[in-house]
Amino acid sequence: MALRSVSRRLGSRILNHRSFVASLHSHATSFGFQEVKEEDKSKLVGNVFTNVASSYDIMNDVMSGGLHRLWKERLVGKLSPFAGMKHLDVAGGTGDVAFRIYDAIYSVKRRALQKVDEASLEETQIYVCDINPNMLNVGKQRAAERGLRDNKSLVWVEGNAEALSFDNNSMDGYTIAFGIRNVTHIEKALAEAYRVLKRGGRFLCLELSHVDIPIFKNLYDLYSFQVIPHLGELIAGDKESYQYLVESVRRFPPQEKFASMIADAGFEKVEYENLVGGVVAIHSGIKL
Amino acid sequence: MYRTAAKRLLGGGGAFTATRLLRFPKLRSTIIPSSYSSGLCTSSIGGNAESPMGGNQSVNPNQSDHTASSSSSTSTEEGPRRDENRKPRAEFQEEQARVLSASLRHVPRLGWTEEAMMAGSRDVGVSPSIVGSFSRKEAALVEFFMDECLQLLMDKIDSGLDLQNLIPSARIAKLIRIRLEMQVPYMSKWPQALSIQAHPLNVAASFKQRAMLVDEIWHAVGDGASDLDWYVKRTILGGVYSTTEIYMLTDDSLEHRDTWAFLDDRVKDAFDLKKSIQEAKYFAQDIGAGVGKSVQGLMNGVMQTMSRRSGGSTF
Repeated sequence: MALRSVSRRLGSRILNHRSFVASLHSHATSFGFQEVKEEDKSKLVGNVFTNVASSYDIMNDVMSGGLHRLWKERLVGKLSPFAGMKHLDVAGGTGDVAFRIYDAIYSVKRRALQKVDEASLEETQIYVCDINPNMLNVGKQRAAERGLRDNKSLVWVEGNAEALSFDNNSMDGYTIAFGIRNVTHIEKALAEAYRVLKRGGRFLCLELSHVDIPIFKNLYDLYSFQVIPHLGELIAGDKESYQYLVESVRRFPPQEKFASMIADAGFEKVEYENLVGGVVAIHSGIKL
Repeated sequence: MYRTAAKRLLGGGGAFTATRLLRFPKLRSTIIPSSYSSGLCTSSIGGNAESPMGGNQSVNPNQSDHTASSSSSTSTEEGPRRDENRKPRAEFQEEQARVLSASLRHVPRLGWTEEAMMAGSRDVGVSPSIVGSFSRKEAALVEFFMDECLQLLMDKIDSGLDLQNLIPSARIAKLIRIRLEMQVPYMSKWPQALSIQAHPLNVAASFKQRAMLVDEIWHAVGDGASDLDWYVKRTILGGVYSTTEIYMLTDDSLEHRDTWAFLDDRVKDAFDLKKSIQEAKYFAQDIGAGVGKSVQGLMNGVMQTMSRRSGGSTF
């Protein structure tokens, strides 16, 4: 009985490996369900986000029914930000996660509860990195609305997740929320994440993922392919971008595979948590 | 019983976890999916290149990370091949233990809090972010301390305490005293530790640790001639230990003299209780014997009457 299960696992492992390698290549050359050249993918993704930047936040709210706020709260909760930390939020253009981290560190209530050293509070740096300047501009605008325009703790940087401009071992935390799906080479992004993190630093990734629950999966597919592109048309005036979005979710590796990719990049204690039955998953790892 | 179970876990570790992890020799890292609820329950075991049990053997099986988790796990194909080229990576469990150990120094000043753990992590040279990944953060620190104390106690017992010349009640008192004295440096913050242990999320783990402690003490005392049940013994000792611990929180006497006097009294009470229970049992047995004899006599009389009435028919 045990032998059978081992051999079945081995067999599926080999199968997984072949399809795993194939899917990796396919991620780099897939733009949703279309096949594109590797060089072209980042340009195409760039166009998508240039188009949707201004209505990105509204569309998030509409598509997820406001749930994306809870997901991001959970992500930041898991991170447990602390005063004095150097944090990097990649593909965080409009600043959702970054603002939440900022609030978590600077909230008066928290500071009252815990003895926070004011000096270390000054050292806090939250870098928001995005490849798309339009998304960054929206983020800067929102910062200005909150009165954080000239705040030294928030730094907006234009950069590529596959080739970050930060030093080795410089970050305490690295988050990427709904961004890793759009990267051409996932392994490069993971390797860069590993590079910039300090020893003990945490990697957290919030991403749309795969649903396995039988009936729910069908409902989710229905919603994704029938409703979302039309919502995109209605609200953002851009059906193709949202078609790309739902297709790219399907093309992204499932939870286990992605977790093993993270482990491959060198992270320890790799684990993931499914939210809403797998619609969203938070993967985490530690650099040791 | 717990000690033998613990030895079995540590010694025959490979066999035990094999059923949970699947027998892949070079398991580089295990990934375990969490439950679907948006609650907590994420758990995993950081692996290392050499053996599935490599790091775990140095860790007390009671570590809070080893909570029950679903047993599916995967490892990568590339993992085994790549490991030979990479230098061995620090085990997460070891790293956590190092950080928690360094944090204990900060506890008297900062309490059993994240701040203490972050200070500890800085001492070790690791980013304070790692504290965010400890399950049930403050509880991890408290449970680590409890495990350490238990280990220290076991070492002290093994390295030879003079227990033979003492009567059982004195032995118990001595062992409890040794264990409680380990908490003296943290006494100012111990109420916080107790409240952390009493938190619903942490009760299960802290209960298990106390059960192990109590079991260890009885084991060292040597279960003397006693008719009391295994559970009753441990419950009573658990009660004695807990009440003494709480008494100690408000004891200002020199070198906690009052606490040790209190302890001696409680142990005496417990043994008196044992005696009175024994007496009660004998009493009940005697009564039972007496009643039984009279009932038997009655039944015999009834039977004889019936047989005579029915004219001596065979039965």
